Amino acid sequence: MEKIKIFWKKILQTGLWKLGLFFALIGPGIITSNVDNDAGGITTYSLAGAHYGLSLIWILIPVTAALIIIQEMCARMGVVSGKGLSDLIRERFGAKITFYLMIILLLANLGNTLCEFAGIAASMEIFGVSKYISVPAGAFFVWWLVVKGNYKSVEKVFLVACVFYLSYILSGFLVHPDWQAISKAAITPTLNFDVGLLTMAVGIIGTTIAPWMQFYLQSSIVDKGLKAENYKYSRMDVIFGSITVNVVAFFIIMLCAVTLFQNGLKIETAKDAALALAPLAGSYASLLFAFGLLNASLFAASILPLSTAYTICEAFGWESSLNSKFTEAPQFYGLYSLMIFLGAGVILLPNVPLISIMFYSQVINGILLPFVLIFMLLLINDKRVMGDYINGKLMNVVSWTTVIILIGLSGAMVVSSFF
Amino acid sequence: MAINREPQVFLFLSKILGRSIIGATGETLGRVYDLTAEFVEPYPIVTGIILRPTQKNNPVVLPWKDVVDMDQTISVSVSSIKDLSVLHLRQGEVLLKDALLDKQVVDTDGAKIRRVNDLHFLKTRYYLYLVHVDVGFRGLIRRAGLIRVFDAIFKALFDYKLPDHLIQWKFTQPLSSPDLLQLNIAQSRLSQIHPADLADILEELDIKQRAAVFQALDVETAAETLEETDPKIQVSLINDLNSEKASDIIEEMSLSEAADLIGDLPKAKAEGILNEMEKDIADDVKELMTHPELEAGGMMTTSYLSFSPTTTAREALDKFRREAADVDLVYYIYVTDEEEHLLGVISLRDLILADADQKLADIMDDRVVSVKLDDKHDTIAEQFAKYAVTAIPVVDENEKMHGTIIFKNLLEIVAPELGK
Repeated sequence: MEKIKIFWKKILQTGLWKLGLFFALIGPGIITSNVDNDAGGITTYSLAGAHYGLSLIWILIPVTAALIIIQEMCARMGVVSGKGLSDLIRERFGAKITFYLMIILLLANLGNTLCEFAGIAASMEIFGVSKYISVPAGAFFVWWLVVKGNYKSVEKVFLVACVFYLSYILSGFLVHPDWQAISKAAITPTLNFDVGLLTMAVGIIGTTIAPWMQFYLQSSIVDKGLKAENYKYSRMDVIFGSITVNVVAFFIIMLCAVTLFQNGLKIETAKDAALALAPLAGSYASLLFAFGLLNASLFAASILPLSTAYTICEAFGWESSLNSKFTEAPQFYGLYSLMIFLGAGVILLPNVPLISIMFYSQVINGILLPFVLIFMLLLINDKRVMGDYINGKLMNVVSWTTVIILIGLSGAMVVSSFF
Repeated sequence: MAINREPQVFLFLSKILGRSIIGATGETLGRVYDLTAEFVEPYPIVTGIILRPTQKNNPVVLPWKDVVDMDQTISVSVSSIKDLSVLHLRQGEVLLKDALLDKQVVDTDGAKIRRVNDLHFLKTRYYLYLVHVDVGFRGLIRRAGLIRVFDAIFKALFDYKLPDHLIQWKFTQPLSSPDLLQLNIAQSRLSQIHPADLADILEELDIKQRAAVFQALDVETAAETLEETDPKIQVSLINDLNSEKASDIIEEMSLSEAADLIGDLPKAKAEGILNEMEKDIADDVKELMTHPELEAGGMMTTSYLSFSPTTTAREALDKFRREAADVDLVYYIYVTDEEEHLLGVISLRDLILADADQKLADIMDDRVVSVKLDDKHDTIAEQFAKYAVTAIPVVDENEKMHGTIIFKNLLEIVAPELGK
């Protein structure tokens, strides 16, 4: 009896206790990564699968690695400095640069928010609900969740929302794919100089590694108030999150590849994908796909406006707390409301050129990303900010290479968009 | 009547940074990179210019006394960079751009954290004083280089010029490094802020600044502020201190708050602090910690005054004057027998108005409202609402008094549930 007690004690002291601590400290990484699979992401993955089959699926492996490298740095900066990314950029690079950076970020995120509301509209239309009902309801839900809830409860809702991404994995299994061919495709890099294929590859990378994520991830890690000693749990959180996000992406591409691509169906949007799935993979797969899109869009629509308002207020030193009244934090609530109002409002306008809005929001993201990444690398190598936690030599080689490749790709995308 | 007035001009730091510095021979020596200033009262005085030379890379310091004139360019009496030394900050000297510009400061007048958009100087004939910090939108726009466009638009549309939002230096507490907090400690600007506001500020700061600000407070302010702070933050703040300093602060807190806080700490830390505390306070705290937080026993304080029924009003008042400074609850005194059974209660007003020779037994109200040790917070709230008192004594099943609940302490438990 005594022995068992001691044994239990040991387990509690070592393994389980650490597991418990891990679960207490995780959240930011997983949430950020999953928000990343938003309406825009799901659309891109569906198109990639439907148009190019399995030939682009290998790209998810390098993307996962890049995502881990970038987000790890963000998490480290958050834990060590205790400050958000926009705060650090403001203190290090001054008001002028920050001012223009924030304006671009606002525009980019506004575009992204718009995509999320478009995603809400599209997915609810599959369930037969008009966008004139679903979009205002979605906007109200987002507003209510954040203004009425506190961060703790909101975070729980978000973590639950992450579970719903399983719906894509479920629908992936529903179609009984040929696993052997898929695993072969996943580890064989193929890329030919087809412009469409290249654009799609860049699109996948761009939607997975977005500028706003770095700001959001870092401030939610700061909010958790972690200390440098507990950093390793944050790192696990980030790695775990980055892998899940790409597993979901993998299943979406795969699902569309083995159904739509093999039957030669061309689609334009994620909604088309969901509808086209019904006759091929059964109505469950189709509904699960639509539900996943709704969840992803709502999830991202709740986070993007909030994250933007926080980031900008932090950079400019405006009061930014959900605990303050409107008159105490007018800029914060103003920005937050503006994002939701414009994001939801534009969707309801008749004849909105949605496709080109989404396209230009991707371009703005592409312009913004290099700046954010370079600032991040300069900051993480700044001893005054990071102390002993600056990048090591190897990490610097790896991260600079990753960042240069990413910059090259987003630069190529921006340039190609003007021709 | 001739008044010898010094010419006075206001200048912004953003307008000084980057200006060319012209040497005695008319040659450009370099550009202004930063300013050093000595933090003296009432206004910091600029002591030198950090200069980024045109050729050489290492910044050098130009003493302020060598500045001859300040116009679009800055003329100095030095003729060559070789005459200047590299930067070496003296005690009390601070790099202004580095320490303040774009950083956070506490506005002690408005009790808010602000970000510095610019610094505002007063230039007299011989000196440059830091007089204001600019925290307004106008300052931000000026830094972004858009002030003319912005002003033109505002003028055209609204016929309005957005004013500068400047905070006087004396209401500014820089935060960017622990040294700066120490520099100002003599003036203790932070302690001018109400502890409740200070607690809000602490909660908004990042984890490092929070610890630095908290450790810069004097023990009394720290204790008052801690009482108003969120329990989670309380724990992290105390965890950063050694047991000795922590116990000094916790001793100054009210007993029930102290017990709640120590109960939330990791076991080893809690024991360390209890060992460092004065024994009688530590005993009281331990007693309170045995009760669950949401029950009467967990909300009560044991720091109150009680007297035997035969005490006279004069004796009671004398004791009150001697001891009330360190007692949590002063609005009521309690009358108990030798075994501490609760007999009656006297409000402070009744005690003061009573005839000095009257016995407490004759003044006291024996219809005492009390709650039991294990009563829940909602029951207690009902009692407070029904009897409109500001404190309720806590007794066990034998009517023996253990403590008293102050309304404020109940409110802290109940407040989060209000308005939901």
